[in-house]
Amino acid sequence: MAVRPTAIAVPVGRASRDGLVAAVVRFARKKPLGAAGGVLMLVMLVTAVFADVLQTHDPIATNAAYTLGAPNAEHWLGTDHLGRDIYSRIVHGARVSLVVGVASTLLGSVLGGIIGLLSGYVGGKSDLVTQRVLDILQGLPLLVLALVMSAALGPAVHNVIIAISIPIVPRAARVIRASVLSIREMQYVEAARALGVRHVRIAFRHILPNTIGPFIVLCTAQLGSAILVEATLSFLTLGVPEPYPSWGRMLSVSAAEYAQKAPHLVLFPGVAISLVVFGSNLLGDALRDTLDPRLRGS
Amino acid sequence: MSRARIAPFPALLIAFVVGAGLISPAASQTASAPTPKSGGVLNMMLREDLSQGFAIHETSTISTVWPAMPCFNNLVLFDPLKKTESVETIIGELAEKWSWQDNFRNLVFFLRKNVKWHDGQPFTSKDVKFTFDMLREAPDAPAKLRINPRKDWYANIEAIEAADPHTAVFRLKKPQPSLLLMLASGYTPIYAAHVPPATYRTACVGTGPFKVKEWRKGEFIEMVRNPDYFVKGRPYLDGLKYFVIVERGTRQAAIQAGKLDASFPGETTKTAAEQLKKAVPQLVITPFSQNVSDNIIMNVKKPPFDNPKVRLAVSHAIDRRALIQAVHQGGAVVGAASAPKPLGFWGLSEKDLMGLPGYAARPADEKALAKKLMGEVGFSPEKPLRVEIVTRAIAVYVDMASFVINELKQIGIDASLKQIETAQWHAMATRGDYQIGANLTGIGPDDPDANLYENYACGSPRNYSQYCSEEVMKMIDAQSQELDPKKRLTLNYAIQRKLEADAARPILDWKLDYFTVWPHVKNLIPHQSIYNFGRMQEVWSDK
Amino acid sequence: MKTYLAQRLVVALLTLLGMSAVIFALLRLAPGDIVDILFSTAGYVSPAEKQAIMKELGIDHPYWVHYLDWLRQIAVVDLGMSYRYDLLAWQLIKPLVPVTLELAALSILFAVLIGVPSGVVSAVRQDTALDYALRVFSLAGLSMPAFWLGMVIILGLVTWFAWIPPLSYVSPTENFKLHAVQFLLPALAVGYRSSALIMRITRSSLLEVMREDYIRTAWAKGQTGRVVIWRHALKNAMLPVVTIIGIEFAFLIGGLVVTETVFNLPGVARFLVQAILWRDYPVVQNLVMFIAIVVILSNLLVDMLYGVLDPRVRYGG
Repeated sequence: MAVRPTAIAVPVGRASRDGLVAAVVRFARKKPLGAAGGVLMLVMLVTAVFADVLQTHDPIATNAAYTLGAPNAEHWLGTDHLGRDIYSRIVHGARVSLVVGVASTLLGSVLGGIIGLLSGYVGGKSDLVTQRVLDILQGLPLLVLALVMSAALGPAVHNVIIAISIPIVPRAARVIRASVLSIREMQYVEAARALGVRHVRIAFRHILPNTIGPFIVLCTAQLGSAILVEATLSFLTLGVPEPYPSWGRMLSVSAAEYAQKAPHLVLFPGVAISLVVFGSNLLGDALRDTLDPRLRGS
Repeated sequence: MSRARIAPFPALLIAFVVGAGLISPAASQTASAPTPKSGGVLNMMLREDLSQGFAIHETSTISTVWPAMPCFNNLVLFDPLKKTESVETIIGELAEKWSWQDNFRNLVFFLRKNVKWHDGQPFTSKDVKFTFDMLREAPDAPAKLRINPRKDWYANIEAIEAADPHTAVFRLKKPQPSLLLMLASGYTPIYAAHVPPATYRTACVGTGPFKVKEWRKGEFIEMVRNPDYFVKGRPYLDGLKYFVIVERGTRQAAIQAGKLDASFPGETTKTAAEQLKKAVPQLVITPFSQNVSDNIIMNVKKPPFDNPKVRLAVSHAIDRRALIQAVHQGGAVVGAASAPKPLGFWGLSEKDLMGLPGYAARPADEKALAKKLMGEVGFSPEKPLRVEIVTRAIAVYVDMASFVINELKQIGIDASLKQIETAQWHAMATRGDYQIGANLTGIGPDDPDANLYENYACGSPRNYSQYCSEEVMKMIDAQSQELDPKKRLTLNYAIQRKLEADAARPILDWKLDYFTVWPHVKNLIPHQSIYNFGRMQEVWSDK
Repeated sequence: MKTYLAQRLVVALLTLLGMSAVIFALLRLAPGDIVDILFSTAGYVSPAEKQAIMKELGIDHPYWVHYLDWLRQIAVVDLGMSYRYDLLAWQLIKPLVPVTLELAALSILFAVLIGVPSGVVSAVRQDTALDYALRVFSLAGLSMPAFWLGMVIILGLVTWFAWIPPLSYVSPTENFKLHAVQFLLPALAVGYRSSALIMRITRSSLLEVMREDYIRTAWAKGQTGRVVIWRHALKNAMLPVVTIIGIEFAFLIGGLVVTETVFNLPGVARFLVQAILWRDYPVVQNLVMFIAIVVILSNLLVDMLYGVLDPRVRYGG
C-alpha cells in the first residue's frame, strides 16, 4: 500500500518513573515550541471549561442598540450584526470546538485504534480485508466525506462529531497497526507467545501499552484537523447549528458581508481557530519528535 | 379599463429614500437622463445557478425570474421605468391594447403583429391560449407543467379564446380586476405553443429583448441582443452576463471592485449598502420594498398554538421595531399582511397598526401583556413552555429566529431552534409538521388577491399555519370582486386587522432592499416587488 | 514488477467497488431528494405531482436497482443524466475537471517550492532561531482555515486595490496573464497550507538521513556541507516527500471546496457542494468516484515512484 506510517515503538514507563512534573519541565526545556503549543491548548481547555465564568454577556442575547459595534470597554471584541458580544461567543465557541474536536478525535482514534490493533495482531487474511476496507474510507477526501455525512445526518452537534470522526478511523488504524506489527516481532512478545500466554492477554497487556505513544501523537495531530473540519463545515452551514456559537459559524455569511465595516467579525474568530489549531500542531510536532526514538538524541 | 386606482406615491417614496440618507444625486437623474446610448454589456450577479433553467412558470424564486426575464415577454407588464407599481403603470408588451368588457368579466387583448419567437416562428394568439390553458390546467390543455406553483392565480378563468391570430379573450367566472396585475408580473411570461414546456428548463425560446447565448452551468449565463426585437431601437444593451457567485462576501467584493454593474434584487442590506457607499461613493443606491416579509407561522391545528392566547402572547412578545434594528439594522419597516405605505399600496401604515398586537409604543407594556397571557395558561419565565422553533438553514432566517427566541425567553417560552434544510422545509411546512416557525414570505405582484389567497385561504398549500376562518374567506372573496378601489382598500384594511388580531401569522416586518448600481447603469429602476423589473429592455449603459 | 502491478490494479478495482457502495449508501441517507428541492424552488409540495416527477426522472425504483444501474453505467463510462440540469452528467463535469486539476497541480507545486527548501534549511539549522521561525511560519499555514485565508485575501484585495480576480474561468489561450492571476492566488492559499506537511516531513526525514553513516562519511571526507545535503540527503529524503504529496492530494480536494467557492473558480469541488445540496446524485456520485479514482491512481503512482527513487524497495515481496 502506498502509505506506511512509520512504526513508532516506545517502551513505556519512562515518564512515570521520573515523575510527571519533571517530564513536563524537561519537555518544555527541550521543545519550547511544543511547550508553547501546550500552553495554547491549556488556555483553550480552561476557556472551554470556565466559559460561563469568563463570559461577560449571554452569548446568544441580541442587542439592537449596538450592532456591528467596534471593540470597547463593554464589548472587548466588539459585537456582531445582531449585537451579540463576540468575546463571549468566542469563549463559548471554545467549548463547542473543543467538545467536537476532542470527541470526534477520540471516537475516531479509539475505533481506528482497536481496528488497527486487532488487524495488526491477528494478521493474515482478515488483516488484508480490513486494510482494503480502510482504503475505501481513506480514498474519500476527508472534507467531502464529512460534508456528505453531515448532510446525511442533519445539522446537530452529535452528528457533526460522527461525521468528523469517520475519516479519522482509517488513519488511526494505519498508525496503530504499523506499530503493532513492529512490536509483535519483538523478542519479549515472542517470548510471551512461546510461554503460552493467551492472545488477548498479549494484545492488551504487552502490545497495547506500547502503542500509547503513537496514539497520543496521532490524537494531537488529528485534534487540530478535526477542529478545522468542524470550522469548515460550520462555515458551509453544515456544521454545528445556531444558536451554539461555533467559530466557523461566526465566520459564515454575515461576517463576510460586513467584513469591511466590522473587520473584527472576520478577524477574531479566525484568529481563535488558527491559534488553537496552531497550538495542537506545535504540541503534536514536539510530541512526535520526543516520542519517536529515531529522532531522539539529536 | 379601470382608471381610478391611482398610486400617487413616487413623491413620498423619494422623500423616504432621501430620508434614508443613501440616495445620491445620480439616482434622481435617471428620469431626466441624457439621450440613451446603445451598446455595452451589463455584468450582474446570481446567488445560485438557475434552479430550473428558464422555466419561470415552474418556479417561485427570484434566482430564476431575474436572469430569465430578459428572454421573455408578457402580454402586459408593470412599466419598468416607474417605481411604484399599480394598475395605472401597466403597459402593453405583446398586447398592444386591452380592454375590460362586461363589467370585468371579459378581458380582451389585441396582440402585436410581426412579433417573432427567437427561433423565427411567428407569435400569435395560439401561444397566449396555450400558455394560460397550461397554467390553469384546463381539461383540454395541450401541455402540462410538472410543477405549477401559481395555478390558483388563474382559478377564475373560465375559458381563453383565440378569436383570431391577433386577438385573445379571457372569459372569467366572476369579475376580477386584479387579474390584470397578475398578468403584469414577471412571473407571467408567454411560452411558445410550438415548443414543449420542458425545453425551457434547458433553453429559452422567447420573444424578449435578449436571446440566450450560453449558459455555462454553475458559472454564468450570457445573453445577447435580439436583433429582431419588436420594439424598434430596443434593447439598448448589446448583452447581459449573469455570474453565479455562491459566496456572499465575494459578491460584495465583486460589485465594489467594479466587476459587476448591479446588485442582486433583495440581496443588499442597509449595512452592506452603507459599507459599499463608503468604499465607492459614486455608487447609486435605491432603497425599495422587496415585498418580502418576516413572519411567524404557528400551527393552529396542534397544541400549544391551537390556543389563541398562546399565539397572541407570541405576537405581543416580539418587539418589531427592535427586531428591525437588530436583525436588519433599520433596513425594514413594520407592517401587517400587505406591504405598508408608502412602499406598497395596500398595507396598513405604522399609525394604523397602533393597537394591534405587538405594536404598542412601549415594548415593555407588550411584554407584560404577553406574560400575563402566558400566566393565564400556566407558564412563566421560571416555569417556561418548551417548544421547538423551526427555520430554514439560511442566514436571514436563522438571524431572525435567533432574535425571536431571545424575545420569547422573556415571556416564558423556552424555544429551541431546529434548522431545516431547504430540501425539507416546504414539505414540512405544507404538512404542518411543526409547532412554531420563523418564516419569510415573498409576494409576486403587490396585489391582495395574489397574497391573500395564497397565504391565508383555507386549504391553500402555502397557508402554513393552516389558519382557516370562514369570516376572513368571505372578506377575501368580497375584496377580490369589489370594483370600487376605495371600498376594496377599506376591505383590505379590515382583513389585515382581523388577521393580526387573530395572530394568524404575525407579520414582523417588511424588508427593504438597497439596490445598488454603478452610476453608468441607467434605467434599471427597482419596483416595490423584486420579481417584476428584470426585463432589461430599457436599460442602457453610459460608459 | 508486472504481476505486482496487476495485483495492485485488481485491488484498486475492488477498492473502487467498495467505495461506490459507500458513496451510494451515504447519499441515500441524506433526507430529501431532488424532487423536494424542485418543489422548494416553487414554494409548495404536491405529493401526487411528486410521484409523477420521480417517475419522469426514473428515481421511483428501489435503491438496489439504482445501484446496479450506476455500476452498469460506470462500466460503460456513462455517467447518466443530471437530475437538476436534464443534461448528461459528463457534459457538466468535463469543463470543471481541468480547472481543479490545474489548481491542484499549482498548489502542490507551491507547496513543494515552499516546503522543501524551508524543510532543508530548518533541518540543517536544527534548533536555531531560523529553524523555529520557519517551523512557526509553515505551521501557521497548516493552522489557518483555508476559507478564512481566502476571505482575508479577497477582503484585502478589494479594500486596498479595489480589485478582485476574474469571476468566471479565463482560458490561458484567451488571456494568459489573467488566467495566471486567476489561479495563482487560490493556489498560493492552498499551497501554503500544504507546504507545512511537506516541510515537516522533509525536515524530519532529512534529520534522519543526516545521521546515517554514509552521510557522515561524505561529511568526513571533506565535501562542503551544501553538496552533501543536496546530493545525498535530499535525494533520499524525497521518498517521504513524494508519499506525502500522494496523501495530500486527497486532502487537497477537500481544501479546494472552500477555496474554489471563495475565489469563484468553476471547479469540481465547488460544483460538488452545490450538487450535494441539490441531491443531484448522478453528478455527486460520479464526482466523488472521480476523486476517489484520482486518489487511488496517485497512490499507485507514488508507489511506483518509490521503486524509482529508492532501489531498496523491491516489489512482489
